[in-house]
Amino acid sequence: MVNLKIDGKEVQIEKGATILAAAEKVGVAIPTLCFLKKVSSTGACRICVVDIAGVDKPMTACNTVAVDGIVVTTQSERLAKIRRQVVELLLVNHPLDCPVCDAGGECDLQNVCYAQDVTSQPFGAEDVNPGVIDRWPLIQQVPNRCILCEKCVKVCHEVVGSSALFVNDKGDRAFVDKHLELCEFCGNCVQVCPTGTMISKPFKFRARPWELRKIPTVCTACGSHCQVNLNVKQDEVYRVTSEDGVTRNDGNLCIGGFFGTGYLRSPARLTTPLVKQGESQQPASWDTALAAIVERLQSLGAAKGEAVAGLASARLTNEENYLFQKLFRVLLGSNSIDSEARFGALRSNGVLRQALGLSGASNRIDRIAAAEAVLIFGCDVTAEAPAIDWQIEQSCRKRDGKLVMAGQRGVKLDRHAHTVLRYRPGSEAALAMALARTILDAGLADTAFLQQYVANGDELLAGLQGVDLAAAVAATGLAPDLIVEAARYLGEAKSVALIFGADISKGPEAEVATAALANLALVCGALHGEIGGLFPVEDKGNMQGLLDMGLCPESLPGQQDYASSKAPFEKAWQATLPAGGRDAFAILEGIEKGEIRFLYLAATNPLVSFPEAGRWRKALATVEFLVVQDILASELTALADVVLPATGFAEKNGTVTSLDQRINRLVQATGAPGAAREDFAILADLYQRLAGNGQVPQLDQLASEIKGLVPSYADIRLSSQAARSGLKAPYAPAPGSLRYTPVVLTSTTAAGPQLVTGKILFHFGTTTTFADGCLAVAPSGYVAMSPRDAEAWGVKDGGRVKLTSSSGSLLAPVKLSDQLPDGLLFAPSHFADTPVQQLLTAAGNRVSVQVAKA
Amino acid sequence: MAQVVFSSWGRKIVDNRQGGEADLASLKLKLAENYLSEGKIVAFMGWDGIVLMDRATDVVAMAAEYMKRVQEKYCCAKCTPGKKGTRVLLDTLARIVAGHGEERDLEIIEDLAALLETCKCTLCMTSAIPVFDAVKHFRQDFLDYIGGKRKPSPAKAYWEKLTAPCMDRCPAHIDIPAYIEEIKDYRFDEALDVIRRNMPLPAVCGRVCPHPCEKACRRALVDDPISIMVLKRVPSDHEWMHHKQPPLLPKPRKNKKVCVVGAGPAGVTCAYYLLLEGYEVTILEMLSEPGGTVAVGIPDYRMPRHLLRRDIEIITSLGGEIRYNTKLGRDVSLKQLKEEYDAVFLGTGAFKSKPMGVEGEDAGYEGFSPGGIHYLRAVALGQPIETPKRVIVVGGGNTAIDCVRVALREGAEESILVYRRTRKEMPAEPYEVDDAEEENVKFEFLRNPTRLIAENGKVVGVEVVEMELGEPDESGRRRPAPKPGSEYVIPCDLVIPAIGQDPDLSYLGEEDFGIKQTRWNSIVTHGGTMMTDCEGVFAGGDCEYGAMTVVVAVGHGRRAARVMDRWLTEGKAYLDQEDAMEDLVNQLGVFDEKENVGILGGLHREHQPKISGAERAKNYEEIELAMPESQAVREAARCLRCYRVGMVAVN
Repeated sequence: MVNLKIDGKEVQIEKGATILAAAEKVGVAIPTLCFLKKVSSTGACRICVVDIAGVDKPMTACNTVAVDGIVVTTQSERLAKIRRQVVELLLVNHPLDCPVCDAGGECDLQNVCYAQDVTSQPFGAEDVNPGVIDRWPLIQQVPNRCILCEKCVKVCHEVVGSSALFVNDKGDRAFVDKHLELCEFCGNCVQVCPTGTMISKPFKFRARPWELRKIPTVCTACGSHCQVNLNVKQDEVYRVTSEDGVTRNDGNLCIGGFFGTGYLRSPARLTTPLVKQGESQQPASWDTALAAIVERLQSLGAAKGEAVAGLASARLTNEENYLFQKLFRVLLGSNSIDSEARFGALRSNGVLRQALGLSGASNRIDRIAAAEAVLIFGCDVTAEAPAIDWQIEQSCRKRDGKLVMAGQRGVKLDRHAHTVLRYRPGSEAALAMALARTILDAGLADTAFLQQYVANGDELLAGLQGVDLAAAVAATGLAPDLIVEAARYLGEAKSVALIFGADISKGPEAEVATAALANLALVCGALHGEIGGLFPVEDKGNMQGLLDMGLCPESLPGQQDYASSKAPFEKAWQATLPAGGRDAFAILEGIEKGEIRFLYLAATNPLVSFPEAGRWRKALATVEFLVVQDILASELTALADVVLPATGFAEKNGTVTSLDQRINRLVQATGAPGAAREDFAILADLYQRLAGNGQVPQLDQLASEIKGLVPSYADIRLSSQAARSGLKAPYAPAPGSLRYTPVVLTSTTAAGPQLVTGKILFHFGTTTTFADGCLAVAPSGYVAMSPRDAEAWGVKDGGRVKLTSSSGSLLAPVKLSDQLPDGLLFAPSHFADTPVQQLLTAAGNRVSVQVAKA
Repeated sequence: MAQVVFSSWGRKIVDNRQGGEADLASLKLKLAENYLSEGKIVAFMGWDGIVLMDRATDVVAMAAEYMKRVQEKYCCAKCTPGKKGTRVLLDTLARIVAGHGEERDLEIIEDLAALLETCKCTLCMTSAIPVFDAVKHFRQDFLDYIGGKRKPSPAKAYWEKLTAPCMDRCPAHIDIPAYIEEIKDYRFDEALDVIRRNMPLPAVCGRVCPHPCEKACRRALVDDPISIMVLKRVPSDHEWMHHKQPPLLPKPRKNKKVCVVGAGPAGVTCAYYLLLEGYEVTILEMLSEPGGTVAVGIPDYRMPRHLLRRDIEIITSLGGEIRYNTKLGRDVSLKQLKEEYDAVFLGTGAFKSKPMGVEGEDAGYEGFSPGGIHYLRAVALGQPIETPKRVIVVGGGNTAIDCVRVALREGAEESILVYRRTRKEMPAEPYEVDDAEEENVKFEFLRNPTRLIAENGKVVGVEVVEMELGEPDESGRRRPAPKPGSEYVIPCDLVIPAIGQDPDLSYLGEEDFGIKQTRWNSIVTHGGTMMTDCEGVFAGGDCEYGAMTVVVAVGHGRRAARVMDRWLTEGKAYLDQEDAMEDLVNQLGVFDEKENVGILGGLHREHQPKISGAERAKNYEEIELAMPESQAVREAARCLRCYRVGMVAVN
């Protein structure tokens, strides 16, 4: 600790802290302008100068480390003069366009001028600022408003890690420029800009800051659930901001949070219920639409339990999903409910629950930032959960953590990796097991932990000793040295975060790969200690909530086994729960066979999102009665017998659960367009109509029902408006409760070109393909391939190829990418214009394809 | 000697405008009289004031030009007073020179000069000093401009140079503040880019450089010097540990071939910059591996050879070829090289051990090593030599220290260093002496060998005489003198003399092409061009300077490559403005050890972790471990970024 005196006040502060931090501790306000807590201090503006007794020159408080015994003065004639002159210099050639400047009213420069009493301008110079930079999508840069505080540059480099922004040129001509190809369009540069230099094009000139009401809620674009303030004017979301220091996203957002809400005001929004009459859909009242559904369900008679099915969504809140499954199970007598989780989350989730008793991530994502090693396996975490990327920037760039990137394709974070393990598709499990064995062989496994916690420790040792390293090397195509190096990093680290994503959980070998990763997690120490953890990443917003609410035939809410845990639910719901139940695959088959005659789709679009999308298309065109509850008009809604216009995340109340099991409150910020209704209200209305008891389920009532039935939600208190989120009980396995899962490696190394589909950074599911912001940087679908592959197939960037798999064929524009190994193609799964999911088979997100120039 | 009309250099005012005389030498100003062949230096303006040699110099116009260059070419714009203040200064001065000035402009200049004291670094801050001096001491000149009584009469040419005390003191002139700033900003790749502009062996110079830069570090005037050397290693480790390859972009291939003799630091550096320029480069190396003295003269526990090789592989990845086991004078002659190549660079090092001049030295005894450098090389190359139980190494330099420490690793039970002065006078780095002591090396100070004691043709001991220190000699160290009659014998099985090396220039032979040698057997080159007396043959490193440091060799190699490029394209070997100003400023000196820096200190330098204890002397594992990046960032934040700009006026 260091003792010092600031303006006569004694302060004690930890070694290494700055004078500014010490001043803050005792409530002495030192003016700042370029200071931003979440990045390294810059010391650019010089406003924070202070005097130190015995030191000739004034020192900047923001980047001067406090030294024992110093006596600091923060206010004096000399300091006031320096501060005033500095501001005067900042104002040289600063345009007087405050009235139309976006920052007007929330401008730090305005505030500092006011505070330092700068009322005149003794200095003048030629204006050599470059002109406005308008060529970047989404963000405009106005150099003559810039005070070169470098906050944007530093956030871009240190927090987001995209390192797109840099200071270009010298002297007064210097300006913040951008390597456009590196930009992630996260908008954090706009957020941290103290003036109106970096501005959001979609927001520009549309509102004054003081007109906007800030409504705190969470972003549900992905499972990270960042804190956001929806800035609302006239019942419309004008922009999204976030607050530093409030939650773990620390004020940072990604493109989804910052620029991704445009779909809320898309012209494609559904504003009125539609009911099919003959061949066409006609607008209808809610009463007519819901009555049509009830009528059809009643017409199915007693056998309706066998004939109806529903698919819910990670776009719905916990309460909505809960009500959805309850409606099906209690009122329709059907357990045929499922969701997109079938193709990923449920596959890995089942394995982790079995082996490790995990129902999701084992720790909070803010525990990644301090991990000594991070392994990312089969995951473009930047795209799938950007907030995790920011955690890794902290652990592996600022805190000396080691980063191991294992992936079949290149992703952004490879650039910071110590070891990149570019394995061959299909060799995931072989690699994970090889890493586990190598850690064990090197004596780097925590054997005490394994002995205490793993029930079948002997089996683990025997199993790992049986791992054939030479075979793993052959299967993965990796140099043995690299595997050893990665194993050493993971083994030597005192805390490890193991993160895996879509290429594992949606891959053809999801179960075996997850089991191998669970084993690796046991051996590398990811499952014990406060820091690190095991993190399965699902990119859809409320996927964890969807899993927790039991939206699949095999589980009840709380991920409780359907067959064996019925009793408390039957009691609470006063109903007998139906037996059997179809999962998504069986539902599809049922439709094709004419056994499923009524299908309810809530906020999900199989035509774009599901594997075998072509088969779904045919099936949905033939199902007897299709209800689509959604927010945007699409090819899917056009097929529906009844369309129910619903709401987006900004238009509803309820709770959602983040991928690290934090339960967050969604707060309604605006009304819904036209006659659209909250999803919960729609389901509740339908519920009471089907129940016929006139009792409309209420949100609060369901929330407490969930608490009663779902042990992991029991302690969550979101009763007060102030409580925005709550944490489920932390994962704490009991000794002897973890299991090693034997993994049988099959030789599945793929032959021929492989297409893998997945999420890209610029889009979130299908909704953002209706958001102007996201479309500005990623307007349509494509297939990416290595330049060598493109040359072999005779296509150029921007050309077209025909892709054919066993499920169908498709034309797609070509994009060259140096991130893909030869023979592996990647296509984003968001776009209806290039519905690549129809090429996939039931096996997973990767499929053999034939490629031909088109 | 040029007369000084006015000087405010070093804040000491000498004003002879009204009479009085002083020449540069009497003022201890090491400023050249002429600039290249362009003319006389009439004035110098820089971080420490103004030096005026010609009364007719237009100080106002010069100040305006100086500020223009500072603002438009060098100001990094990363602090408000610097970015904006120097712009206002520039415009104000330009206004005065253009005849539109007002008297109140002088107040603005003085006001801003004071405000620039609060700059983030010293670049703009020190640039205000000569301008402030000009306004103060040449006020009438300004007023004449303002009053319309004067028109600009600029000098024929102005040449400026960005420097810093550390950067100036570094023989390779690495832009040290720039790479440290990149580290502070978590930009390790960029830091390495900066380093490679002047030095392509960052893994080496991040480990074994004697870092003269740190002796010129202004932070030392406040607390401790910045750990400049280790901060060079950090980005190099970063690149290596992240499996990165630097993006090197050589210019289009030129149709000229260069031969570099010796793959040591001078040779590979020269090759690197020539390859970047697009020349075809062939390197001849007498040994079976690259690196020269670094490879076979510095043990692996100080400089792991795989990292040396990595640095060199990056260089040769540009297209250079190294022909191993090819020795000039044995396998190929200089004549052949001159015929086959368009230019030749000699970087043949200094591998001939100096004799001790003691009795028995030439008797061919078993147990007498031809020299430290031979011993180290034999060990490094894995040659079959045996290290017996008791070893004596004679000498006090780094080679001697390396020998005693290597002997321990090679199985010696006792390793003794005999040195004729005391520990204080040892030329070896003090930390290396400490390290040797930690490894149980024994020291016999103030002892000088006089005779080898042998039995049956085998060394069994050394007779030494006690020494005492007398008056200082030309090296500044006290001269040792033997105490007559104090001789005694230290028993041992092996004696390794390590008292210095000389270049072996026997390859020049009869046909020396006029290449001259110094009396220390090193090659003579001219005027900083590194060209020998034979057109097209250049030399650098130990063979030119005598046994010196890696960083000197690197500096030579780079300078030689620059001049060779000009020689190959224009047929003339000359210094360009960059080189000339580099040398001019270097001669003047940039570091002022008496400066009152005036800022808060109290932050001690960060040290990299180290394997400690005598146990480490059992293997060749690296002793100094990588500094964690977070620690390096903290250390980098201590840097004061002591940039400054100097400018000459030439008429």
